[in-house]
Amino acid sequence: MRFQANRDVFSEAVSFAVKLLPQRTTLPILSGILIEATETGLVLSSFDYEVSAQTEIAADIEEPGKVLVSGRLLAEIASKLPNAPVQFSTEETKVVVRCGSANFTLLSMPVEEYPSIPQISGQSGVVPAEEFATAVAQVGVAASRDDVTPVITGVQLEVSDNKLGLVATDRYRVAVREIDWDGGDSSSDPVTALVPARTLQEIGKVLGHSGTIAVSIMNKDDRELIAFTANKRTVTSLLIKGNFPPVRRLFPETVNNYAVINTNDLIEATRRVSLVLEREAALRFTFTIDGLTLEAIGSEQAQASESIDALLTGEDTVVSLKPQFLLDGLSAVRSEFVRVSFTKTENPNKPGPVLITSQSSKDQAGSDNYKYLLQPNLLLR
Amino acid sequence: MGRADGSDRRVTTSAVDDSTATILHVDMDAFFAAVELLDRPELRGKPAIVAHAGGRSVVTSATYEARKFGVRSAMPVAQALRLCPNAVLLEPHMEKYRDYSARVMQIFAEVTPLVEPLSIDEAFLDVAGARRLLGSPARIAALVRSRVSDETGLTCSIGVAATKFVAKLASGSAKPDGLLVVPENETLAYLRPLPVGALWGVGASTQESLARLGLRTVGDLADTPLPVLQKTLGEASGRKLHDLASGLDPRPVTPESREKSVGHEVTFERDVADAETLRRELLRMAAQTAARLRGSGLVGRTVSLKLRFSDFRTVTRSRTLAEPTSVGRRIYEEVVAAYDAMGVEGVPIRLIGVRVEQLAVAEGGRLALWDPDEEWREAERTIDEVSARFGRGTIGPASLVRPKTPPTEGAPARR
Repeated sequence: MRFQANRDVFSEAVSFAVKLLPQRTTLPILSGILIEATETGLVLSSFDYEVSAQTEIAADIEEPGKVLVSGRLLAEIASKLPNAPVQFSTEETKVVVRCGSANFTLLSMPVEEYPSIPQISGQSGVVPAEEFATAVAQVGVAASRDDVTPVITGVQLEVSDNKLGLVATDRYRVAVREIDWDGGDSSSDPVTALVPARTLQEIGKVLGHSGTIAVSIMNKDDRELIAFTANKRTVTSLLIKGNFPPVRRLFPETVNNYAVINTNDLIEATRRVSLVLEREAALRFTFTIDGLTLEAIGSEQAQASESIDALLTGEDTVVSLKPQFLLDGLSAVRSEFVRVSFTKTENPNKPGPVLITSQSSKDQAGSDNYKYLLQPNLLLR
Repeated sequence: MGRADGSDRRVTTSAVDDSTATILHVDMDAFFAAVELLDRPELRGKPAIVAHAGGRSVVTSATYEARKFGVRSAMPVAQALRLCPNAVLLEPHMEKYRDYSARVMQIFAEVTPLVEPLSIDEAFLDVAGARRLLGSPARIAALVRSRVSDETGLTCSIGVAATKFVAKLASGSAKPDGLLVVPENETLAYLRPLPVGALWGVGASTQESLARLGLRTVGDLADTPLPVLQKTLGEASGRKLHDLASGLDPRPVTPESREKSVGHEVTFERDVADAETLRRELLRMAAQTAARLRGSGLVGRTVSLKLRFSDFRTVTRSRTLAEPTSVGRRIYEEVVAAYDAMGVEGVPIRLIGVRVEQLAVAEGGRLALWDPDEEWREAERTIDEVSARFGRGTIGPASLVRPKTPPTEGAPARR
């Protein structure tokens, strides 16, 4: 095999292909990047049985062929090559990379042992890339990171009509968002897919600037797969098996009791006051007609409090919230003002969840339909 | 480990450099049996076994005279009596043991505040800070031994070393009624000839994989390159064993050592194969375990089921929960799921046990958006309150009311 490629194009392609590889793999061969040179161009792929990444770039192919080399090593080399065409060739079991005055010789890995990359068939729909990336970041923050409960380590994608809903939860909070979905002429049956949150967030980053992303949900040999394609780049992921909890019903239909606050003020104050908190402890938020007071209490060593402006509608309210959970929601709303709504429950021993939504101005609710629901702690006196 | 009958006993008789060996492991000798013999002095020097009466019970403790015949803890009484037909059987008295344990622990606490109880009859003591007041670690150990003997009439064995695990090995070597000091610079010489099984965490299966590498002694382990061990045993355990074999054990003596697990188990009078009966037994033990957790303000994240079959094969299945719990119903559902998943319905069971591990102090105030155990939690809190006022057993699951009666028509469906 022998080809020559543009340095920047090659480097970006390698970096994309290895980005989704896990840091440590069970099988050494899965840490490789597969490079295939054909008459039509160069295809670079990686696959660890869960996630695959594949991209196609233009290159001058002098001799077609197929080789497997260590992905991370090649990515590091590619990113540091001098600004000159990259010449890539194989010599027996060695791979030679020449670029300007630099020469690298790498050992190739047995390509015949490498698993075959999942092939995508059909297309289910198209989403705007930037909006999708934003939604994934906003919703993914609420996903559980605990592998004991695999179902909630995923983001649930829900397709119906021309909307794609994204939902994630870790049982303490739920985040949801809807974006546009162009399903073309294909059937309008509602479809759901549970995608590992970590993978989805990475996909948002690598495909977020590509205009539109084509999404296919496939059912092959008993394995359910989702594929995201944009600009000749494709990422596939196995779906998580199991039923996502019916968390949408946790959201209140109407709320009459809420406060509007400058998002940044609330973020800054929360960060400051929580400095004195012990790990896992909660902050106390008191909303009155005069504004919002944050108090860090419960620690013997230190205490803190701060008052900020808040426009309260409805009755005075006190809630106890874990600061990090609140901050995650506040950072996700991405608007200058935020609305914090208080819901009621029938259980007298349990405070009602707090709902965080965007606010396009002081008096105008946001239109991005992002919702972040957070369970307050018990109020301890 | 020692042969548990004192036949390979090693003790320190002359002065050694104990200046850096500041950790003591104190282990009471045949504790339960020794306590029983305080009331039965005529049995001194004779083989005696502490065990519940009944054909299916196991040896709780045995005197060294009985151990010489091969009697060991957890051995079925019938087998023990075959090995040592002259042994006298003594009924256990847990209350007495707890009482003596408290007295012995009190003596430890008067020597140093750094006492880490390991169980009812053994503890680690860090005496680094007590040397100025009481003398060298070996002298302190001698003092502890004489005070225990004078004040309780019981004997104990003490290992003195620079690390916890060597101290524990040393007390085992010194048994019974002995003291062994392993100075820091002799640690390796002491460890190297020991079989690998002497190390903490080396069970039968690890021993087997080590034997496949030709590693039989602690010295063999220490001489093996770390990567080789890690390849066989995994990254973490490989390093841990290599460290231990090299005499390294950084764990400090931690006084407020909390309970590591809470659980109950029962050996049946006759093997039980009926799944319904077993589930009922699990329900009872899960409720007891949860009540104990709540009583100590603890929650646990891992629930395990232990089964011993007729042939004494013992298996444990653990399940990790999404959320630490002290709800009996949750514990019950997990152990039943573990039982069902094993596919042993109808197989006779000799012993069944429930255990909750990975304990943590219950965090007040933290709530989830939804909690499948919410109603059970409240019901069990009510049970606790009723039990506190009217006594244990006044209220509980209906299926435990007549545990001996087989379910008849209209019996509650199992879940």
